[in-house]
This record gives sequence, C-alpha cells and structure tokens, in this order.
Amino acid sequence: MAELSVAHLLGIKYLNRDDLELIFETAAQFKQVINRPIKKVPSLRDITVANLFFENSTRTRLSFELAEKRLSADVVNFSASSSSVSKGETLVDTVNNILSMKVDMVVMRHPHPGAAFFLSRAVNSVIINAGDGAHEHPTQALLDAFSMREKLGELQGKRVAIVGDILHSRVALSNILCLQKLGAQVEVCGPTTLIPKYIESLGVSVSYDLDHTLAHSDVINMLRVQHERQHLRYFPGVREYSQQFGLTRARLEQAGHPDQVIMHPGPMNRGVEISSDVADGPQSIILNQVENGVALRMAVLYLLAAKQEVPAPAETPLSV
Amino acid sequence: MKKEAPIKLSQVTIVDPGGPHHGTCTDVYLSQDQILRIGGEKAAAETVAASHLHLSPGWMDLRVNFRDPGGEDKEDLSTGCQAALSAGFTAVGLSPELQPVTDHKAQVEYLLHQNEKTPLQLFPFASLSQGLQGTDLSEMYDLHRAGAVGFSHGTQAVENSALLRLALLYAREFAPPLHLTAYDATLRGSGQMHEGPMSTWLGMNGLPVLSETVGLLRNLHLAEYAETGIHCQRISSTAELDILRQARQQQEGITADVNLANLLLSDEDLHAYNPDLKLLPPLRSSPDREALRQAVKEGLLAVITSDHQPHREEDKFCEFERAAWGAAGMETFFGALWAGLQESFTLAELIPLFSHNPRRLLGLPVPHIDEGAQADLTLFDPRQEWQLSAAEAQSRAANNPWLNQPLRGRAVGVVSKGTILLWKDRLR
Repeated sequence: MAELSVAHLLGIKYLNRDDLELIFETAAQFKQVINRPIKKVPSLRDITVANLFFENSTRTRLSFELAEKRLSADVVNFSASSSSVSKGETLVDTVNNILSMKVDMVVMRHPHPGAAFFLSRAVNSVIINAGDGAHEHPTQALLDAFSMREKLGELQGKRVAIVGDILHSRVALSNILCLQKLGAQVEVCGPTTLIPKYIESLGVSVSYDLDHTLAHSDVINMLRVQHERQHLRYFPGVREYSQQFGLTRARLEQAGHPDQVIMHPGPMNRGVEISSDVADGPQSIILNQVENGVALRMAVLYLLAAKQEVPAPAETPLSV
Repeated sequence: MKKEAPIKLSQVTIVDPGGPHHGTCTDVYLSQDQILRIGGEKAAAETVAASHLHLSPGWMDLRVNFRDPGGEDKEDLSTGCQAALSAGFTAVGLSPELQPVTDHKAQVEYLLHQNEKTPLQLFPFASLSQGLQGTDLSEMYDLHRAGAVGFSHGTQAVENSALLRLALLYAREFAPPLHLTAYDATLRGSGQMHEGPMSTWLGMNGLPVLSETVGLLRNLHLAEYAETGIHCQRISSTAELDILRQARQQQEGITADVNLANLLLSDEDLHAYNPDLKLLPPLRSSPDREALRQAVKEGLLAVITSDHQPHREEDKFCEFERAAWGAAGMETFFGALWAGLQESFTLAELIPLFSHNPRRLLGLPVPHIDEGAQADLTLFDPRQEWQLSAAEAQSRAANNPWLNQPLRGRAVGVVSKGTILLWKDRLR
C-alpha cells in the first residue's frame, strides 16, 4: 500500500505531490464512510490521540475530534487555559507528560510558528500541525484543495484568489503551497498593510483591488481579519475594510462569473469580509469545506498511523 | 598549563601588520612578561616546536557578556575568563548589561578586581544611562575615572534621542566614542528574524533592515550635531554599510563592527527554526552577508566580535518565539571565523580585526611584537581542524551554534599579564 513520505504532518511545504494525491484518495473514501448510517470505522482502535490546543479553536478542534472518534481512536483534549502551561511548564515537558500516559499521536495548535516542527524533533510521537502561528495550517489547505477539486476537477491552471488578512494568516501560506503543488495559479488580494512585503517570492501574484481579482479568478477564498493577532491597527476600521475588501452579491454580479466558487475557512465575520447573501448563496461551498474537513482529517490521521514506525523527521527543504 | 621561562617558540610566523616583524618566520624567545629576542640563538628552558605555528598580538574580543553579576547560571567571570583564554583571547570588553547594570563605579571596581585572578585583561564598559533605562545619564566621568574603558548601552538602542544627544556631548571631552547599537524599536515590533523571503516562507514576523537604518541615521546625525565620533555596533546589512560609507566621507571618528554570526551565517540557516540562531540584529540575507565580508575587506568594518551572549539550555530549547536572543560564540571564535573565511581572506587581513583594532578604538596600546616589548601574545595554528563538544567547553553557555561543528584554526597558547599558558595537547 502506498504511504506518505513524511512521519508527521508539519506543513504543506514538507509534502510532495504523491502525498497530496494519496491524502485526497483516502479522504474521498472516508467521505463515503461518514455519509453512511454507521459512520464509524475501527481503523484507529487502540490508538490514543491527544488534541493539544495552546490557542483557541472551535471548528478545527471539533473537526479533528470527530475525525478521531469516527476512526475509533481514544481521544484526550487539552487546552492552554486549563493547562500547566500557565504554571510555567515548557511545551516539551507538557507533551512528554501526556505521552507518558501512552498517547500515540499529537494534534497541536500553537501560537508560535515552527512549534510543531520543534516538537517533532523534541518528542517521540507523531505530530500533526493544526496551525502554528502565522506559519501553516496544513489540514485546512488540504481540505480547501479537496473541496475545490470536488467542484472544479483538476486544479491545474485554475486561478485561485486568497483575499484578506494575508499577513496574519496560516491558511494563506499553506493554501499557496498546496495549490501550487497541484498546478493552480494563486493570487493574494488585500490591503497593502496586510500583504507581506516579500509574498511574491512565493510565486504568487498580488492585487490590492478586489474587483480586479474577482474578474479573473475561478475560486475566491475569503480570509477573516485576525484582529486578535494584530498588534497595530492595520486599517482604520471594519467599515472601511468592508468597503474595499468585503465580498458582496453586487460585486460578484459585476464580476460576471456565475461559476466562480466562494470559500471561507471560518469563522466568518458576516458583513465584514463576506456578506450573508454570498456566504449562503449558490456559489458558496463553505459548508462543504466543513464536511470535507472531517473526512480529510480522518485520512491524515489514518495515513500517519499506518506508518509502521516513527523515523527521524525529514530534513526541511532549503529552497524558498 | 603554566610554563617556566625563558621559552623558545621555534619557527613561528608573525602576524602583526604594522609591527616590525610582520610576515617573518623566526624563533621568538619569551620570558613570562617580555619578548626577549626575535631571531638568533639564545638559551631556553623549553622549546615549543610544531608545524604551522603563528604568533600575533594578543586577541581581544571587543564585546562579551559574562553575566556576572546577576546571571551566573549562564556564565560567570571565572568560566568566561577560562573560555576566553582557551579561545586565544588575552583581552575582552565586558558588556554593561548585567544585574546590577554597570552604571556605578562600584560595579566597575568589582569587574576590574577580577583582573587580579586571571591572565585575561578585562575591560568593563559602563552604561551611558542609569540602569540602562535610557532616561538619565550615568555618572560617566566617575565611571571613566574608575576604569570603565568606554560607554555603551548593551544590546539596546538609546531610544530617547534627547538623552543620546546629551550623552554624546557630555562624554566627548573625556571618553572614547560611544559604542552604540542602532535600531528603531517600533519598527522591530514583534519581529523574530530578518524580514525577507525566508521569513515569509517560515511564517515568522520579520525584522526589517529599515529598523536598523532609521536608527543608524539618527545616531549619525546626533553625533554630527555633537561634533564627536561614534562606534556603530552590530552592523548587519548592505543598507547600513551604504549609510556608513557615506557618513565617513563627511564625519570624523565613525567606526563600526560586525558580529561573527552575521559574517558567517544568513537567514537561510534558520530553515529548521534553530533557536541558537535567534539573534539581534538578525541573520540577514546572503547578499547582506557578502556585503559585510566586502566591508571587512575594505576596512569599513574595523572589528569582528563574538558578541558572546551566553544562555541556559532552558532559555533556548523551546519554541523559537519564546527563545532568548543572542548566541555564545566566543570560545569557538577563531575556528569558526577561519573555517568560514579562509578562502577569501588572509590572516593578515583578519587578525587585526580582533587584536589591533579593538584596542585602537578604545585608545589602548597595541601590543606589537618586538624585542623588549611586554608580552601580550596569541600563539595559534591556523590549519588545525577540530570540534568543540559541550563537555569540553569551558564556557557555561548552552547556546554556542558552533558546538560540534567543523572548525579550522585554533589557539595553542597565550601570553598575558606575566603568565604563559600553553596547551600542549593542541600542538601538532
């Protein structure tokens, strides 16, 4: 049976095209499973997964937990607010303490970029990155790409726009890398202050005009403005942001692409970056994304558990 | 181990640009505190002979932090001095960033007192502001009289421009130029590494070069106003070098230095989020690193320093964003430098940057190698290949990025303050 080239899921940057295809194939099978009357399979029986969330999350944590439970894994949850981290314990000690209780896999969200990578080198367990600062959120990118493929078929040559707060987004980097590996062209669009200065080094085009971007994109992935990560006020207010970068029915109609696919990784700020009639409209696949998230995470958990042993982490790619 | 004199150093190549014997390969006879004879024959109690031995004026690391007092779990004066001597240094400049801060003559006297216990020559810098707070001047004149070799603000910029203007004016009449680190703190923000393609790739907040250039331009303007020179610490980028080059055409007394790490490494070395390479200024792009090397070549950067900042393992073995800033590279300084730069530099080009030049900046005499001169010497083998393990290291620091790395060039002995230290196991 085919297997992943990696022992951990730390980021899209560490995956190759074959890994992506294998994950999508497996996710498609699990999607069938979770649509049956009996949604559970025994694939991860006797495997214990710890969900460690050092940062708030509702949907990602719920989605992982459901995926784990539908694979019959034993699940333990941990969040920073109720943890010993606030008492001064280090990340490695926290995780090693949990692992001593015979936990096999760790799903971690953490506020600092590189935290999952660091953990993979410091502890003896399979690590799945559920978001590390503004670095990567690989399962989100995988489920986004999976959802786009369901709608559009192969992504080769497709034009995907990521709109909004690119600077503070982990979804943006993972999506860019994932879509590029699948042959899509990526454009980022947002206010000048929320576009990283060197983003073009990733091979994406940049736009500061939403209408311009709408006019030539097959997919629009709207990101939330991450106020909680902003140490400065990057724009004067949401009203002005919405005027420039809010996706509305009128704008979509003006762009004139009724087949254009609208996505959002959630949670949405309705009326800020996306209007309700767009979010709930016919072009939106926002709820499909959520459904696919469970199947996709089942695939990732299953494939990583299937690796017989935990080898040393792969060297990171040096090239940018 | 300590040696009895007179001692004969057999067939050593003298690296001492500006000195009378530079470039010669000859026998050198030493007593414990004096160079007795260069060349010719003389009776000796002991002869040191090995291949490729070189002799230069004693090395000086312009900027080290031995964390004593206040951070002795990271390093102390004893471990710091031993590590410095083992690395071939006979003199170091001590950062004032201690607890308490070196801002009063009692602290200077405490550090100078250590000079009685070690062959290393300790030169304490004092803080130009009280408590490094950047609000009020320290007693600079009194500190100077007590033996502070110069004034700096540790790793921190003097953010208050009005205070810096006062400090420049006040110290101008009795102290050497202030040693200043330049950056604009608001532009640094929460940055973790050089802002560029690599920070974008790693998802880390960037530290723009802009933060340093804005700070540097301000410092230079203030110095011009105060009609005095400044020494610009920790230059890291091409843009700062351009500013310095221009300033030196218009202003007197502008000098600059570079940290070893910035000369050897770049932001690409952060691909695995190595917290030991979390530095300020950050490791910048490889073109910046190349420009720094060129600036060393042309003399724009006069000093290379380890900027030794020891930390405990607990403060570095963690997520990158939580890790402490700074690297401890003093003990492997020459081996790392020469391994990295031997193909583009000669010893005569590099050695003065950590022997002659730091002393010149501080108005200290340069201990040229000559008969009758006081012996302040470093004996080294530039061809020796070696590695340093944590267990062998003298320094207490857990954050030396060059531990267990291939090094080339090693000190095999030092002569300082009447003591000859020779490591026979390093002779080849």
